[in-house]
Amino acid sequence: MTHDPHIHVYRKPSPVAKWATIVLGAVLALCGAILLIGGIWLASLGGSWYYVVAGIGLLLSAYFLFRLSITGVWIYAAVWCGTVLWAFWEVGTDWWAQVPRIIAPTVLLVLVLLTIPALIRRPYQPPAETTL
Amino acid sequence: MLPLSNISRILIAGTLFVGAAAGAAKSQTPEQPQSQTQMQESEAPATPSSPDSAEMRPDETADTPPVPAPTSDVVDPASGDTTTEDATPPTDAAAPEASETGTEQQDASDTQSEETSAPQSLARSAPATLPEAGADWPFYGGGPGATRYSPLDQITPDNVSKLKRAFVYRTGDMPTKETKGKYSPENTPLKIGGTLYMCTAMNKMVAFDAATGKETWRYDPKVSPDAIPYGASCRGVSAYTNPDAAEGDACATRIIEGTLDARLIAVDARTGEPCEDFGENGSVDLWAGIGEKVPGWYAVTAPPAIVRGIVVTGAQVKDGQAENAPSGVIRGYDAVTGELAWAWDLGNPELTGLPPEGETYTRGTPNMWTAPVGDEELGYVYLPLGNSAVDYYGGNRSDAENEYATSLVALDVTTGKPVWHFQTVHYDLWDYDLGSQPTLVDVPVGGEKVPAVILPSKQGDIYVLNRKTGDSLFPVKAMKAPKGGVETSSLADTQPVSGYHVLPRERLTEKDMWGFSPIDQLWCRIQYRQATYDGLYTPPTVDKHWIQYPGYNGGSDWGSIAVDPKRGVIIANYNHVPNHNRLLTRDEADKRNLRPIYEDQEQSSGSNAEGDGDPQTGSPYAIEVNAGWRVPFTGVPCTKPPYGGIQAIDLATGKTLWDEPIGTARRNGPFGISSMLPFKIGTPNNGGPVVTAGGLVFIGAATDNLFRAIDIKTGKVVWSDVLPAGGQANPIVYEQDGREYVMIMAGGHHFMETPIGDYVIAYALPKGD
Repeated sequence: MTHDPHIHVYRKPSPVAKWATIVLGAVLALCGAILLIGGIWLASLGGSWYYVVAGIGLLLSAYFLFRLSITGVWIYAAVWCGTVLWAFWEVGTDWWAQVPRIIAPTVLLVLVLLTIPALIRRPYQPPAETTL
Repeated sequence: MLPLSNISRILIAGTLFVGAAAGAAKSQTPEQPQSQTQMQESEAPATPSSPDSAEMRPDETADTPPVPAPTSDVVDPASGDTTTEDATPPTDAAAPEASETGTEQQDASDTQSEETSAPQSLARSAPATLPEAGADWPFYGGGPGATRYSPLDQITPDNVSKLKRAFVYRTGDMPTKETKGKYSPENTPLKIGGTLYMCTAMNKMVAFDAATGKETWRYDPKVSPDAIPYGASCRGVSAYTNPDAAEGDACATRIIEGTLDARLIAVDARTGEPCEDFGENGSVDLWAGIGEKVPGWYAVTAPPAIVRGIVVTGAQVKDGQAENAPSGVIRGYDAVTGELAWAWDLGNPELTGLPPEGETYTRGTPNMWTAPVGDEELGYVYLPLGNSAVDYYGGNRSDAENEYATSLVALDVTTGKPVWHFQTVHYDLWDYDLGSQPTLVDVPVGGEKVPAVILPSKQGDIYVLNRKTGDSLFPVKAMKAPKGGVETSSLADTQPVSGYHVLPRERLTEKDMWGFSPIDQLWCRIQYRQATYDGLYTPPTVDKHWIQYPGYNGGSDWGSIAVDPKRGVIIANYNHVPNHNRLLTRDEADKRNLRPIYEDQEQSSGSNAEGDGDPQTGSPYAIEVNAGWRVPFTGVPCTKPPYGGIQAIDLATGKTLWDEPIGTARRNGPFGISSMLPFKIGTPNNGGPVVTAGGLVFIGAATDNLFRAIDIKTGKVVWSDVLPAGGQANPIVYEQDGREYVMIMAGGHHFMETPIGDYVIAYALPKGD
């Protein structure tokens, strides 16, 4: 990493934030893999393609979160928006029917948004008064 | 979803083709145009039945309007007794079409020939005057017609908010270590004079004061725990007053119950002492003539009907065990002496008493596990029959079984012979037993009040039949039934659909799949796409699962309906729950060690849901049922809520007046955790409503453990109380010392997964209000 001329001038996230982001990325990757595999199965049976698309989205999001890239947040946000649009297209304002479609993805959205501070790359300010 | 009964009707209508239930077996016959001219419903259009429409799959015929059967063709004993087709075997595999004719035509003819050979009757020739519901609740269903209607009006929507517990009586009958997980008491008390009478889950009979709840007597028939069939239930007792007895005589009024170990027990209403004149010291053994005694296989769980002095009972035969199951014979006993008055063995109509030594009543025949209703005036008893053994395979059923299974049978108690019968599903492979007690009420038809019997089914059809003839007072339509599965050639071509009212049962789609998260929803969608599903009556399959919707819990089950005859309103709660099923090959069944009850008592009983791996010994297939189609591990249902609702229906027309989900989410959640969400979700429900002249519907039933009052005009819940256990029982309403009481047993239910209790709770307005 330090060989990358762009990276070394940015502040690194704290180890806790970094590992929390990676764990979240792992959760998204697991969910994404399940949705993708199950989604391919479902689509092959003539069912909805939503899960294939959402699964790919989650895997991509996880990939960028592993790399501590803010792109992971953008992709997850896109998946979430698409999910909401799809959910309303499918069942409208039948709120009980929305429960499995919206709640878990929204919980994940909150967690993904919480990683933003760890992923935002501000220009590196030399710590003038620090001894480290 | 709920206000969609009309849509559901359209969908069902879409599955219809002309074919009237009756003469219509051959729906593409020259008779068709004739029946067109007799059509009685405006929605019946000028679309003639054609071979094309008949061959369309149901989902492709959504725009094809239904053509109802002319009423007269559907159930017309008058014509029935002159035709020879009544004798047509209903499920002749070689001529399945012809079977329709035989099954749907209600025949009075069989009685006509049989009545002459009837033995001398123990039944009284003249009807007695029976007490109505009012201050008392003298019958399981309230009055003699089982309307579950109380004319009391002290409690109204305006003052119901002040309703408080007046007293709580506890029966003391709670599960032991041995009977844990098997309790479903489902008890409904009677109230006669100043006393309440009921039975507990294990058949202990108790009497207690109607104003204070103080116990006056108790009689324990000492039923062994191994007698519990699927669940320990005793829905109620029946009372009989001997017209020949003097008032102070022992057992002048007697309380009669059927027990899990298949006895009829009669005790003195005043003392609880067994009636010495009844059977052997107050007890009649119902195992007589049934065959080898296998505890738990043959058990009475419903109160008997008492008509013209005859106690009429059937029994529950534990489902799914074996083709060679105890007989479904219906028997009538003298209410005073306990003497067998007659037996009606549909497989052996010549046999009217006990079978000869060493023989049994015909085994495996359709049984009656629920409560019948008596018609003192006509001397009839209306028997809601269940299915033949076994439920999910029909290959070895006899013609007589196919004729009578899942039918309402009007039996003349003076002869013990059937007068008419009305079949609600042909060749039942879905455990669509008739579970509801029918209701007797006069229904206005064309400016005239016709004595009718209202029959709700598990599929959600509500039929209104002429009590005397079995004629449907409204058109009975026919829907084209799906084919396929392991018995495709035996399946009926059409199934009846009520033209009067159908409870919601819209066809399920992938979008209706639910779950707790996208992952289990995906799992459910895959299951949906993998399963065979062709709508209502999708035939059983062995190579993959099939979806059965509605499931065996209803529609309408044993809770039945209530009818307010003054307002002309039917109140019906219903379930909205599918099952996910598969037949198992004999090899699979053996690998799972599925064994019938006579081989392995322990293995076959217990808290498993009914059908959750039943051997069906003697048939080629065992059965596996995922009742409620739930996701493994989380327990969350695969289909979206609501799982239950309650409707008000206009008695005169069958039109829906309101339709609301019943039950909140407070006790439901993933992994069996109570979510405490106060929102109405519509839960599965078991147990029926009562209606009062005060304008209220009282009902527990839902799995939220609430007992609630609903304004009959609006369908809104106007009062509720949290019960200490599940309210899976029918409430009652009575008056004592000028005070109106509403009472429900909070007994819980193992299958409904509500907490078990022994509470009988009386509610009243505070004194002085």
